[in-house]
Amino acid sequence: MVVKETPCFLLNFLEALKGGIFSLPPIDTTLNCLRRKSRKIKTISNKSQFKIQQMAFMLLAVTLFFVLAGIFVLIFKFSDLKDAATEISEKNALLLVTRLANSPEFSCGEVFDYAGIACIDSDKVMALKQSQKEYGDFWGVLNIEIRKILSNKTDECTIKNYPDCGFIKIKRSDEIGDFISNFVILCRKNGFEGEVYDKCEISRLMVSYKPI
Amino acid sequence: MQENKGYLQISFAWLFAIIVGAVILFIAIFFSSKLIKTEQEEISLKTGKEFGILLNPLETGFESLKSNSIIMPIESRIYNKCNLDGVFGRQRIQISQKNFGKWTETDLDVGFSNKYLFSENVVEGKKYFLFSKPLNFPFKVTDLIIVTSSEKKYCFQNAPEEIANEISRINQENLYVENCSKRNANVVICFEGESGCNINVDYEDGIVKKGSDTIYFEGDALMYAAIFSDKNIYECQLKRIMKRIKTLSTIYIDKANFVSMIGCNTNLNSDLLVLINLADNLKSSSELNSIKLIADDIDEKNKEAICKLW
Repeated sequence: MVVKETPCFLLNFLEALKGGIFSLPPIDTTLNCLRRKSRKIKTISNKSQFKIQQMAFMLLAVTLFFVLAGIFVLIFKFSDLKDAATEISEKNALLLVTRLANSPEFSCGEVFDYAGIACIDSDKVMALKQSQKEYGDFWGVLNIEIRKILSNKTDECTIKNYPDCGFIKIKRSDEIGDFISNFVILCRKNGFEGEVYDKCEISRLMVSYKPI
Repeated sequence: MQENKGYLQISFAWLFAIIVGAVILFIAIFFSSKLIKTEQEEISLKTGKEFGILLNPLETGFESLKSNSIIMPIESRIYNKCNLDGVFGRQRIQISQKNFGKWTETDLDVGFSNKYLFSENVVEGKKYFLFSKPLNFPFKVTDLIIVTSSEKKYCFQNAPEEIANEISRINQENLYVENCSKRNANVVICFEGESGCNINVDYEDGIVKKGSDTIYFEGDALMYAAIFSDKNIYECQLKRIMKRIKTLSTIYIDKANFVSMIGCNTNLNSDLLVLINLADNLKSSSELNSIKLIADDIDEKNKEAICKLW
């Protein structure tokens, strides 16, 4: 409820009218009025401060609510984005592992008598291993390796031990990632007593992607 | 006479609430619009990446041609961009989708080093047809992927028999052979210098003429690429292909050294070095013929070798 009060200057004016235009109101009337006014200002000031405090708290609460809601939405969105990125990487690795043997860097072409769709030229892959740096992120996967299934060798193929080795690492990454594999035939030219023949082994082409 | 003065009495609380409310609403609208834009960019990127990944099954083995189609959830635009940065250059794909009648604007694109897309600079539509054809130069270099929209119809007039048969085999809804006047095709491709055609192909000399543009090709794969793509895309992708030829030649030289250790000499290293040099210096498709000559020569030598390199 708003209590309306006569202002001091009006009171002084009325007092002046009562005593004539040039007579001043008694000093005690003016002082009393000012005292009352001072008390009222103090009450209003306290009330306003309380209201401002209330509003500040409210504002803080509203801001906090929006910040929390925003964080929640962002977390939800980013987790969704991460899932989507992982799904895309997995899909890429899956589709790549089935078609990689046909790419020119791996495929047997017409080199061997065996001409199949999943045939990998071992000699070419060893040469590709030398160009690892140039290929970098060419296939968009972390690691690419070919493991001979029926070989008792476990060491990595290098120029020194090739072809008596267990696996060829074509693309190397510090991270291991999740592997997806496909069966392939790994063929190479082999020499025996001056004769050159084709040697093919069942192997596993393994491709790893980075789960995010 | 009593004077009535009307005034609006707004308390501090109301004024404060209105100002704060307006600020909160402004921030909410600002962030919502930002979020929507980010969402649209995310969808464009995701679609671009998925589009690129879906091209993996188009890698050919012993097939001479492979085809596929992709249907987008909404009307889209595929921006085909090519750049020559790095060892192999990059195939960049940018996707813009139609939202409430407006195309989403994005500067973000996805890149692939192992893909070669041939199309117009912008392909618009909901359904896209893709077909891939292996490029042998002299060894298999890559699969050229041709992208067209279902909204654009192409008709091949008087095409050589093998081309006509191949087009029929692709069985693509937007590709026709013969009777072009009845087909209501957007683009008519002529092979015998007829007038009134959008594209003229000189199959013997390896020349494709599109308006004022002249593009040179060698082999059927590059002919399709020249027909269906804009000149700038074709020339850029051709340079990328040359970069791949260069790297593959190096691999074959290393392989030749490997097989020579078991007594299999191929004697192709010097020719491959010439090929590397020519591929490295290709300026435009008009110089393709000289590379093709050496490539054919290398191919002959490889076929005769005891240990073939490819």
